[in-house]
Amino acid sequence: MAEVLIENLKKSFGSVEVLKDIDLTVEDGGFVVLVGPSGCGKSTLLRAIAGLEPVSGGTITIGGRKVNDLAPAQREIAMVFQSYALYPHMDVAANMGFGLKFAGTPKAEIEARVAEAARILQLEPLLKRRPRELSGGQRQRVAIGRAIVRKPQVFLFDEPLSNLDAALRINTRVEIARLHKLLAATIVYVTHDQVEAMTLADKIVVMNQGRIEQQGKPLDLYYRPANLFVAGFIGSPAMNFLKGQVVAAGVDLGVDGRLAVPLPQGMAAGTPVTLGIRPEHMRIAAGEGALHLAATVELVERLGETGFAHLRLASGTVAIAEIRGDTGLKTGDRTHVALDAAHLHLFGADGRRLG
Amino acid sequence: MRKPLSAFAVHAILGLYTLLALFPIVLVVMNSFKAKRAIFNTPLQPPGPSTFDPVGYTRVFDDSSLPLYYLNSITVTVGTIFFTLLFGAMAAWALTEYKFRFNTLLALFLSIGIMVPIRLGSVSIIQLVAELNLINTLTALILVYTAQNLPLAIFILSEFIAQIPKDLREAARCDGLSEYNIFFHIILPLIRPAMATVAVFTMIPVWNDLWFPLLLAPAGGKQTITLGVQQFLGQYITDWNAVLAALSTAIVPVLLLYVIFSRQLIRGLTSGAVK
Amino acid sequence: MAQQQHSGLVGLPQGAYLRLLLFFLGPAVIVYTLFSIYPLLATILNSLYSHQKDGSYVWNGLGNFHTLLFDHTWSHPFWNALKNNFIFFLIHMCVQNPIGLLLAALLSLPRLRFRATYRTLIFMPTMLSVVVIGFVWQLILSPLWGIAKMFLGFFGLGFLFAPWLGVESSALVTVSLISVWQFVGIPMILIYTALLAIPDELIDAATVDGLNQFQAFVWVKLPLIWPTIGLVSILTFVNNFNAFDLIYAMKGALAGPNFSTDIMGTLFYRTFFGNQLQLGDPSMGSAIATMMLLVILIGVMAYLFLVQRRIQRYSF
Repeated sequence: MAEVLIENLKKSFGSVEVLKDIDLTVEDGGFVVLVGPSGCGKSTLLRAIAGLEPVSGGTITIGGRKVNDLAPAQREIAMVFQSYALYPHMDVAANMGFGLKFAGTPKAEIEARVAEAARILQLEPLLKRRPRELSGGQRQRVAIGRAIVRKPQVFLFDEPLSNLDAALRINTRVEIARLHKLLAATIVYVTHDQVEAMTLADKIVVMNQGRIEQQGKPLDLYYRPANLFVAGFIGSPAMNFLKGQVVAAGVDLGVDGRLAVPLPQGMAAGTPVTLGIRPEHMRIAAGEGALHLAATVELVERLGETGFAHLRLASGTVAIAEIRGDTGLKTGDRTHVALDAAHLHLFGADGRRLG
Repeated sequence: MRKPLSAFAVHAILGLYTLLALFPIVLVVMNSFKAKRAIFNTPLQPPGPSTFDPVGYTRVFDDSSLPLYYLNSITVTVGTIFFTLLFGAMAAWALTEYKFRFNTLLALFLSIGIMVPIRLGSVSIIQLVAELNLINTLTALILVYTAQNLPLAIFILSEFIAQIPKDLREAARCDGLSEYNIFFHIILPLIRPAMATVAVFTMIPVWNDLWFPLLLAPAGGKQTITLGVQQFLGQYITDWNAVLAALSTAIVPVLLLYVIFSRQLIRGLTSGAVK
Repeated sequence: MAQQQHSGLVGLPQGAYLRLLLFFLGPAVIVYTLFSIYPLLATILNSLYSHQKDGSYVWNGLGNFHTLLFDHTWSHPFWNALKNNFIFFLIHMCVQNPIGLLLAALLSLPRLRFRATYRTLIFMPTMLSVVVIGFVWQLILSPLWGIAKMFLGFFGLGFLFAPWLGVESSALVTVSLISVWQFVGIPMILIYTALLAIPDELIDAATVDGLNQFQAFVWVKLPLIWPTIGLVSILTFVNNFNAFDLIYAMKGALAGPNFSTDIMGTLFYRTFFGNQLQLGDPSMGSAIATMMLLVILIGVMAYLFLVQRRIQRYSF
């Protein structure tokens, strides 16, 4: 396995820049997940690493070797595609051994490697089947098997779970995590699903409009998002944002009142700020308080033990608060919510985190 | 309220038209097995023990080279289909997969032949074929028919290749296949259904064509069956047994093949036609 | 950096890329250019020269076309063939395509039994060689055999029988109808396919709206298959102005009686190869081929710019 080093990577289609100065290190044996909204450039970055997409500038180094001008096959990578991309006219064993056959690997060795991969993935009974005779989950495992057989330096996954149903997605996610440990593999993984990102990654890279917004450990991104974009992207339901300005004792939210928010030092009064608070850090409160907001209940969604209350504030802003147990809350009720001071996020006018 | 055309009326119309379509063919085949007197006296009766007479067929197979002409037609048709499919698929692949400066222009150039019949260039085709010393050869016919059928083949195959998921070609690139191997090992096996459609579109007009055999290979034992039958009929025009038998030998094998493959053929026509 | 400008394939040098394109495109482009485009262009060029008795060619500008259009010995057959060709085309448009539409409409009715059988049998004549079809009908219509007369007689119409193919006034119509009989399968299949592509829900919706089957066909299906009918029309046009085989097989190169079945294809053949009446003339042959090309191009252009542009295409 090897380290992947990406420096100043640029890519443009005509005048449209789809990757802007990307710098990224994937440690040997690391599991990096690229997330972001569609069109953010995450798939393009992955395809650039694979060599399927020419780049306009910068370097890609895999295992100490600069690979910019190497064809995909020479980069010692393996890719698992969203559509699995299994060759429909070959059986499972042939699909897995196909690349090796063209690399001139001896037949016995191919068979041994295919058998090994099939054992790891429990594909042995399926080796003689054609792709169309397999279920979605089985096809997914064959696609992973095809990657394993090639013993690559780096595994690249392009939204591998998005074509699976919810139950299978969880199983396969666990399976991929297991394989990562078993093979000590270096993995770059693209997804738009933040649950996959949070559960699988050593390092999450949040991308937006061709740029990296933040990279770091999953919980770091959750607890200390670097900017409004990351704050809004990570977490579900999304973080609530309240616009206001700095005053002596905290933040003034206009008609919604003043909150005694602990401020970083040196904040001038009148500075516009955005206050961020996750639904799970808000709770329904009995009356007024230093960090309380008055609101009207718009809608209550019960998921079971937990649920969400959609609250309309005096200013008209809608905030979502998590509720636990049977609160008896119903549409039209007037109530208060308390914000957890330890989990308040403050962002400046430029969207960056303050403090 | 549903007041559909009565099922009876529908079947009456379709049935009558089917009879109209079949009647001339059945009539000819039926009478080809009869004695001359019966052909004229009782043309609408099938051959019976008293009227059966295969004399027409003996004449056809004694006097003519029809088996040879059949072989010529098969060679020309199979050769044309082979080169049309191979060259057409290769060009379609390059046009859909690779970016190069004159891509669109080249595609447009190659599609002229879909609408403009190549027959109109016959004067120069004959001169060209004569210069290449290919008059009265099957090679000339195969080359001309391949040129004639390539445009539609490229058009249909391009549409089909474009539908093959991009992921599949890229998986092959990651697997280390050269561009040539991607074409021969991945693309060709996957476009077989489209190639069947193209083969059908190519086969019928080539087999049935009279024009180019007449112009390019009218003699020297290189006649195709269509031309051969035409020449034979001209020779034996007054011998009704021979004429009917010659027509039947031209009709029956084609119709047998058609009935066997009609399902695939109609499917090919219906899938390719609307694209 | 360099490779991305030409191929989009990483790790493939320029030279290898050019070899790749040459390998895949070369054979098709060479065969097609040599045996299709070059002959077409050469024919047009040929039409600008005049063929001399000693076999040489002399530049003649548009002289051949002037001869063709205005010199009585040439213009008479030319206009005759062009007129006949239009009649040939009109008969196909007015008979072949409506019958094809009717058969397709009936075949696409829901829950029709024997659908595949009808479809297969009605398409059968289309599979056969025009030469064979021509002869078969020649025999059937022959007064010698008397099949046609026998049939008319069966309905008490025996007096209507005439040797239609041998009579100047009816030969062209007869030949056209034989061609219609053979090729009706093509519009039928094309329209049938288009009709099958219309989702059943649409017809269900029309039924709910109170339309009967006939109304649903006229007001829902027909508007949706106009593009196909347009396509069928232009295909008919190109094929008809390129026709030759049937007339040649039934009436020979002289397209008798008295040139009454002469169309552009037979005129072209006769002019180029010569016949009992005249010597072959490659230059005048080329001029006629160029005129055919012009007629076809005008038809195709009219279709592309006038018809196809105005037709709304729907996708389901």
